[in-house]
Amino acid sequence: MSEMKKIKNLKEFSTSADRFEGANLLCPGCAHSIIVREVLNATNDDLVLSASTGCLEVCTAVYPYTSWDASWIHIGFENGSTAVAGAEAMYKALKRKGRLKQPDRNPKFISFAGDGASYDIGFQWISGCMERGHNMMHIVLDNEVYANTGGQRSSSTPIGASATTSPAGRVSYGEKKNKKDMVAIMAAHGIPYAAQVAPNKWKDMVKKIQHGMAVDGPVFINAVSPCTTEWKFDPKDTMMLADLATDSLVFPLYEIIDGHELNITYRPKNVIPVEEYLAAQGRFKHLFKDEYKHLIKEWQERVDANWEYLNRREEARV
Amino acid sequence: MANTGWDEFEIGAMLRTFNEPIENIAGTLQEDRPYSENSSFRASVADWRIEKPVFNKDYCIDCQFCWIYCPDVSIISRDKKMIGVDMDHCKGCGICVEVCPTNPKSLLMFEEKADEEQAIANWPTKEEKEK
Repeated sequence: MSEMKKIKNLKEFSTSADRFEGANLLCPGCAHSIIVREVLNATNDDLVLSASTGCLEVCTAVYPYTSWDASWIHIGFENGSTAVAGAEAMYKALKRKGRLKQPDRNPKFISFAGDGASYDIGFQWISGCMERGHNMMHIVLDNEVYANTGGQRSSSTPIGASATTSPAGRVSYGEKKNKKDMVAIMAAHGIPYAAQVAPNKWKDMVKKIQHGMAVDGPVFINAVSPCTTEWKFDPKDTMMLADLATDSLVFPLYEIIDGHELNITYRPKNVIPVEEYLAAQGRFKHLFKDEYKHLIKEWQERVDANWEYLNRREEARV
Repeated sequence: MANTGWDEFEIGAMLRTFNEPIENIAGTLQEDRPYSENSSFRASVADWRIEKPVFNKDYCIDCQFCWIYCPDVSIISRDKKMIGVDMDHCKGCGICVEVCPTNPKSLLMFEEKADEEQAIANWPTKEEKEK
């Protein structure tokens, strides 16, 4: 059981038996469940899961139904990560005392949370889990907004996005603060593995998840999750949006090992202008008005600078 | 359990997905699992759909893009072959049609009321690429 699942290609991957069920209440075209399925199917081991309050939690556990075929818990907005950390600590203790009924099974401890529950509300709790060195994985489903409660801005919302608490209009272009660099913050804890993934690059995703499960210690994963409701695009275009996000380098895919060794895992053959990524979403519609057009240039410059920074760090190996 | 109202629900209660223990869930396909009434597998969101995907086996190359990118576990793949769409759980988002790489596409969206046999009979032919 504990050896790594072999996934050479998509055909082989498709023989997996899903442990996440349909008829959950996520919006049609939601990327959350695509990410969850890719993560859960990356292993055959037992799972101990949690979800912090957010779209994923409210939509997959609507009484009297649950969409999870594994041990799953929800407590509060902030403490999904610590719930799993506690389960992991208990597992370790019972194993040490020889009181586990099946000690050869190697359960994987994973907590899912949205960007609100990770970047803002659960920040301190996650930081604690990373610092204490639990053998667990925290996965952020980053849709850059509090989508569950009606689209309030979070500290993951990027500049220029119109959210309900930072609306665009005559006097404002929407959100004014830039997105928090959560992967770098978590990597700074010196954890063995931190990475950014996207659902459209499933092979990269599976590789990183399996690496994260194999290492001993806390793992942080930031997953891009295009939100059809709050980013305002057609449900069928979810994967196109994910492609635009990775290929325009707005969401570069990289990993940080032991807090310092940075590797870029995906280099797009044709880099798409950021303008195309912005134009595909309703939340950036106002940026194409004359008075706010300068922001598109700023966006491109910022994304280029970030890509340059990642490349330099990869070269420097520090 | 299934008939209990929300205000009769005990604090800290647990929902069990299965009626009996399964030794190896990851190795048990959905049709072989003893789902309980509390699994959303038993529920249906078919009434969410405005359009439905219709699958035409003749053009399918079993690339499994639709399987991996389906948000609702509604593409049924067995033995590396795509065999159909689970119409109880499909919400009609249309991602499977967008990611289908064949020409013509082997999945297309039709109106919910459309007749499947007729849709397959009138399937579009191969599109020539513009040079």
